[in-house]
Amino acid sequence: MLKRRIIPCLDVKNGRVVKGVHFKGLRDTGDPVEAARAYDRQGADEICLLDITATTEGRENFVDVVRHVAPQIFCPLTVGGGIRREDDVRRLLNAGADKVAVNSAAVTSPPLIKRLAKRYGSQAIVVAVDVKRMDALPRDEEPLYEVVIHGGTRSTGLEALRWCEQVTELGAGEILLTSMDKDGTRDGYDLWITREVARRVPVPVIASGGVGSLEHLRQGLALGEGEADAALAASIFHFGLFTIAQAKQYLLEHGLPVRPPATRHAA
Amino acid sequence: MARELTLVDSGLGNLASVERALIQVGSATQITDDPDKVATSRIVVFPGQGTFGKQTDNIVSGAMGEAMRMVIQRGDPFLGICLGMQMLFEGSEEAGGHKGLGILKGQCRRFPESMTTAEGDRVRKLKIPHMGWNEVQPSGEHYYFVHSYYVDAAESSDVMWSTTYGDITFASAIRRDNIYGCQFHPEKSQQSGLRFLRAFLLGSRQ
Repeated sequence: MLKRRIIPCLDVKNGRVVKGVHFKGLRDTGDPVEAARAYDRQGADEICLLDITATTEGRENFVDVVRHVAPQIFCPLTVGGGIRREDDVRRLLNAGADKVAVNSAAVTSPPLIKRLAKRYGSQAIVVAVDVKRMDALPRDEEPLYEVVIHGGTRSTGLEALRWCEQVTELGAGEILLTSMDKDGTRDGYDLWITREVARRVPVPVIASGGVGSLEHLRQGLALGEGEADAALAASIFHFGLFTIAQAKQYLLEHGLPVRPPATRHAA
Repeated sequence: MARELTLVDSGLGNLASVERALIQVGSATQITDDPDKVATSRIVVFPGQGTFGKQTDNIVSGAMGEAMRMVIQRGDPFLGICLGMQMLFEGSEEAGGHKGLGILKGQCRRFPESMTTAEGDRVRKLKIPHMGWNEVQPSGEHYYFVHSYYVDAAESSDVMWSTTYGDITFASAIRRDNIYGCQFHPEKSQQSGLRFLRAFLLGSRQ
């Protein structure tokens, strides 16, 4: 049986790992190469590197970080942040990334997704969708979510579910769905939108934003709750709160299909 | 002294991580797109990402396909990875049908749409591609897969390991004599993948 994935995410700024609280108030937690190696050894199912400030500030050295991380790990590497052009994707894939996550640029230029999928294959193209729940809705209606870009600072007027369907029609191979309301809260994923997207699209969905406990990972992945194919988390792993193995163990004990924790073998 | 291994660069995706994994397990590796170098190699690894199409047609009918056939027919160890394994078979139903190298009997088929799997008392829709970690039988070990097409091998004796996704049980690793293949990505499968590559290298250096 195909297993649900646990993906530690390293938010990178100026070559260092940081964890943003609502993408603000960053604090430095270390070297991305060391962190990625550690997660790989712990048995992370995939590793995600996000250049969190590239969109708003613009920077070049993230490609170098990817080039240094990629040769050190033996699991899939997904990278994202600040991708504007086809050429940015080419450079990141050449630097050793397996998948590239496109966020704002997908909104400002949807045909980019189609071109990227055609050129590199859908399996290499993730569309990152940041969403915010709209408030002040009439009582009985289903919640509505809007797609936001530029680190949550800009509205797009796009309704999240329709946008997710659209990007998969354009060729996105996977959706990285982040709730901007939950991100940094350690309050748990936004299960409603995660489940709705996971049910609606024909590609895998990675839940992101809000993990503070192992139970939150379980919720994000469980049927009837988040139903995501993969659970992304940052701070609970970075600060040594839990190891990947502890997370896997917890999920196994609660009946979730995950790859068992890594056992030590000589490399 | 280990014999140098040849990694075939035929434009079917990035070779860096496969090379890195082979180095990790102690193999001296040369990357080449020169069919003559491939034809004279004593151990060949042929990785491929993506799908059958114009590019694979060119390989199959061109000098590189001929070079790889020579290596295999001579009895030297050959490992096809992912699309590289699929290309060892007769062909694919992909995009109107494409030919493979035809060394092993069988066809590549697309996973059916709308497959489901039971999970507890609930049913879950399966997505295509089959992407992520899945187990192989008989060992139960996990490897990383990314593919929308699978090998339907005609001869069960060619199937070394099998994997199940939804209703489909497919060949996740094949072996016949000196010919090896894996549908998964050993270079992305952490310790399990490195062990697989090491076993191939050791088995091929008698």
